[in-house]
Formats: sequence, structure tokens, C-alpha cells
Amino acid sequence: MLALAFRAGPMRLALPISAVVEVSPRRALRPVALAPEGVIGLLPLRGTLTPVVDLCRIILGRDCQPLRSSRIIVVALPGKAGQRLIGLLAEDVLDLLPVTATIPGLRLPDAPWLSDHLADQRDLPQLLDPAALLPEALESLFVAEAAP
Amino acid sequence: MAKSYLASRLTLLVAAFAGLFLIFGGVTWYTIQQVRVQGPIYNQIISGKDLVADVLPPPEYIIEAYLVARQLNDETDPSRISEFVERGDRLRVDYESRQEYWRRELPAGPLKDLMTVTAAKSASKFFQLRDEQFVPAIRAGDHEKAKAVLAQMDQAYAAHRLAIDQVVQLANQQNAAGEAGATSFIANHTAVLSGLAAAILLVVMLMAWYAHRSATDLSKRIKLASEIANRVASGDLATEVPGTDRGDEAGQLLQAIQKMTSSLRGLVTRAKQASIELMSTATEFAATSRQQEATVQSFGASTNQIAAAVKQITATSAELLGTMEGVNAVAGQTADMAEDGQAGLRNLDNTMERLAGAANTMAARLAAIREEAAEITGVVTTISKVADQTNLLSINAAIEAEKAGEQGLGFLVLAREIRRLADQTAVATLDIEQMVKQMQTAVSAGVMEIDRFAEEVKSGVGNVVKVGGQFGQIITQVKTLSERFDAVNHGMRSQSQGANQIGDAMGQMIDGARQTSQSLREFNSATESLRDAVSVLKQEIALFHVGN
Repeated sequence: MLALAFRAGPMRLALPISAVVEVSPRRALRPVALAPEGVIGLLPLRGTLTPVVDLCRIILGRDCQPLRSSRIIVVALPGKAGQRLIGLLAEDVLDLLPVTATIPGLRLPDAPWLSDHLADQRDLPQLLDPAALLPEALESLFVAEAAP
Repeated sequence: MAKSYLASRLTLLVAAFAGLFLIFGGVTWYTIQQVRVQGPIYNQIISGKDLVADVLPPPEYIIEAYLVARQLNDETDPSRISEFVERGDRLRVDYESRQEYWRRELPAGPLKDLMTVTAAKSASKFFQLRDEQFVPAIRAGDHEKAKAVLAQMDQAYAAHRLAIDQVVQLANQQNAAGEAGATSFIANHTAVLSGLAAAILLVVMLMAWYAHRSATDLSKRIKLASEIANRVASGDLATEVPGTDRGDEAGQLLQAIQKMTSSLRGLVTRAKQASIELMSTATEFAATSRQQEATVQSFGASTNQIAAAVKQITATSAELLGTMEGVNAVAGQTADMAEDGQAGLRNLDNTMERLAGAANTMAARLAAIREEAAEITGVVTTISKVADQTNLLSINAAIEAEKAGEQGLGFLVLAREIRRLADQTAVATLDIEQMVKQMQTAVSAGVMEIDRFAEEVKSGVGNVVKVGGQFGQIITQVKTLSERFDAVNHGMRSQSQGANQIGDAMGQMIDGARQTSQSLREFNSATESLRDAVSVLKQEIALFHVGN
């Protein structure tokens, strides 16, 4: 199994590749009026408009750095009404890591989406749980939007 | 009183006039007696005229023509005939000319009627007969006819003779009356002349008496005038002149003498005062000239001192002139050295300018290097973009291969290799970027260094120019100094010349003072002479007595 490694500020993170649909370069997004905190725009992808969330804003409270290595990771989230595509903007989206051994990390009640660390990699990147990633308010917003 | 020359001379004059007048009267009376009618001269002239009248046949009485006609009648010789005819013609011409004269001269009266009418009528008849009938008959030899004509001519002659007799008688009567009138006229006028002579003599005697009296009075007054003049001449100017009330010549003379005396009195008074003033003035002159002589002598001494001082000034200024010339030479050398320094600076300036040019060239080349580095950066950016895209593609490929499961394993390896290449490329590009950045830093430092160098060169050039300008100022000032030295030299020279001229002028002034002293001495002696002359004049004037 492989994991897509990236960074949010000083933290090195990874997503299991099975959740990733596509990595897209950062491009001009359709801005959303009166968007909630973290949503920075809509990305046209495969005939649908995919909402894009800035991970750095959600995790660190600041925008991602405007670097070429800051890319949009399109993930498929399992929701109550079916699968839903979400764009996550993260920094240093450059590498794929093999997941061989994992070390359990700290379980924080405010951050349920942080899970195990990759044991045999430098900096010990921490895996994310895509299902627990979005706050409930955002999730309900996206689901309600995707209902029809 | 002395005898009057004027009176005696006037008397003499009147006596001479009276004597000469008496002589004139006597001679006049004698002349009148001599030339009076019936006087000796008259009788002599009359008897002479009577003699001629007695001797000559009168032309107005045609008796001779009658006689010639008679002779002609008896004559037969042709030469004699023509001679008589010619003579008769001449007698007729004489008669007619005299007849014309009397017709013109005689006063109208019975005598003129007898003479020019009665006598002339018969005479012209006679001559008419003779010319028209008698002479042609004689020439023709017709004696009978001649004889008849001669009888007619006899009658005419008789009538003429009668008339002439009457004329003579009448003329004699008129002459006697004229002589008697002339005699009585002369007697009357002789008496008148005697009376006139007596009256003239009386008047002359009266005039002589009056003239004598006037002359006596005049000479008395002239003598008085001459006495006064003599007194004035002897110096007595106080004399009074009497009797100046009359306006005749003697009175005018006395008035003139009075005026002259008073004028002389004033003149002599003024001359006395003037001589006194002249004396004091001459004394003042002498004192003043002595004072002036002393002044001139002290002036001469001062002038000598001034001349000595001027000579010293001349010597000092000549020495100063030499010193100034030395200083001027040193200043000239300084100017030369400053000019050499300026030339050296000019060379340095050129070198600095070349250095500045080289620095500029280097800066331009460094700028080119920087541009090339920028181009390299662009290329590196492109390469890194490509590497980025390759990385993205390999990630997406790996995702797709993972989804393909077992079948995508090989492709997954390929994708990993590609990602590794892309990573290496990215690292290489990072290296290149690093190197280029270092190079750009070095170039920037070099540019800065060169800029600083160029600035320094520029400021060096500026300094050189400034130093050159200062050298130029030094040269200018030294030159100005030299010009001033020249001016000072010139001034010193003219001062020296001026001192010499002053010395000359002083010499001339000394000469002038000497001459002035000499002149003053002469003036002194002249003043002495003047004083002597004035004292003589005073003595002379003292001879005149002016009175109060």
C-alpha cells in the first residue's frame, strides 16, 4: 500500500492512496460567495464543481504558502448520501511513500482525523483519516449541496 | 609905464598907409591929366590920324575910283587897261567892306542915313555904271560909248561928293560936342576924387587914433599878464590875477593865467604830498627788499638741503630697484615650476580618464554577465517547471497504477523511477539556481566595486582638475605678482627719474634764488637812487611858494 506524503507547516502528513482520486496543480478557482471558514473556491473536475478546502487554514489557522509544490489533492469522501469529491490544498505534495509499518500516534479529541505514523520514514509522517477530516458543519453543507 | 611897441607900430602903419595913399592919388591925378581929351596924348593921337587922313585917299570917298576911271578912259595900252580895271575892282571891294563896317557900327541917326543910304546910293550907281557899261566899252575900245557912260558916272560921282561933304560936316559937329562933354566929365570927376581922398584920409586918421588907444590899453594888460607869469615862474604861486572881467583876448589870457596858476598851485601841493608819500614808500621798499633778500637766502639754504635729501632718495630707490628685480626673477622661476606641475597634472588627468573609461567598460561587461545569468535563471525555471510537471504526472500515474492493482505494478515502478528522475532534476536545478545566485552576487559585488572604483576615479579626476586649477591660480597669481613687480619696478624707476628731475629743478631753483638775490640787491640800489631822487624832487618843489 502507498501513501501520498505532504506537509502542513512543520507537520509532515500522509493520505492513503486509496482515498486519493487525483493530484491537481494549484490553479485559479471559482470563488464562492459567503463561503464558510476554510473553503477557498470551486474546482471544475470531471464535469462537476469540487469544493476546495485549505488544510493549512483548518489545521494551522493560516493560508498555504503560494508555492509550486502546494497542490490540490482530490479525495473521495464516503458520506451518508454516497461518495463525495473534495479538494484539499496542502503544501509539499511531492512524494508517494510505501506503507510497511505503522506506529500508533496520540489520539486527540479535537483532531479525530489524525491517526498512525509511518514507522520506517524520515520525520515519521502521520496518516490522516479522510472520513474524519471535515468538521460536521462543512460535511453537512457539502452533503446537502450534493443531494439532488 | 613903458612905451607900447604895439601902439607905435600901429601908428607907423597908418602913417605909411596915408603917405602911400597920397602918392597913389597924385599919380592918378597926373595920369588923368595926361590922357584927358585935349590933353597932350590925345592931341598927339589926333594929329597922327589927321596926317593919315590927309595923306591917304579914303576908301569910303570914291574919288580914287573916279580918277582911275578917268585914267582908264584915256589909256589905250591893253596891259595898262587891265591893270587899271583890276585896281578899280580892288577899290570897289575896299569901299564895300568899309560900307558894311559903317552900316554895322554907326548908331542910328541922320549921320547913318547920310552915310549908308544917300552916299551909298550914288556910289553903287557909279560902280554899277562902271562895271556894266564903262569897262566892257573900254575893253571893246568903244571910246565914244565910254565917254557917254563916263558923263553919267560924273553925275553919280557929283551926287556922292555932295553927300560926303554933308557927312563930314555932320561928323565934325558931333566930334566937337563929344570933346566938350568929355572935358566937363573929367573936371567933375577930378573934384569928386579929391573929395573922396580927403574923406579917406580923415577916416584913416580916426582909425589910427582909435587903434593907438586900443593897442596902448592892450599892451598895458599884456604887460600885467607877463609880470604875473614872471612871478609864477619865479615860484610865487600865491599871486592874485586882477582885471579878468573883460572878455577880450587879453582878458582871456589873464583868465587862462589865473586858471594856470590855480592848477599849478594844486599840482605843486599834490606833488609836495606825493613826494612825501614817495619818500616813505621808497623807505618801505628798501626795508621790504632787505627782508626779501634775507628770505631768499634762507630759501636757498632750504633748497640745498632738499636737493641733498632728493639725492639720497634717488640712491635708495636705485638700490630698491635692484632688489625688486631679484625678487621678480625668483617669482618668474616659481611661475615656471608651477607651469611644469600643471603639465604633469594634465598627464595624470589623461591617465585617470583612461582608467575611468576602462572601469566603465568592465561595468558594461559585468552587466552583460548579469543579463546572461538572468537568462540561465529563466532556463532553470523552465527546467524546474518541467520537473514539477513530471513529478505530478508520476504521482497521478502511481495513483492510477495502485487502483489497477496487480496489473499496474510494473507501471508503478516506472512511475517511481520517473518521480526519482524528476526529483534529481529538481535538485540539479536547485544547484544551478544556487550557483547562478552566487554568480549574480559576485557580479553585483564586482559591479559595486567597479562603481566605487569609477566614483573614486571620477573624484580623483575632479581632484586632479581642482589641483590643476589651483596650479593655474598659482601661476596666474605669480604672473599677476610679476606684473605688479613690473609696475613697482616701473614706479621705482619713474620715482628715481622723478627724484633726478626734482634734483635738477632744485638746482634751477637755487640758481633762481641766487638770481633773485642778485636782483634784490640791484633793486635795493635802485631804491636808494629813488630815495635820492625823491629828496632832490622835494627840494625842488620846496622852491614853489603856495601860500595858505
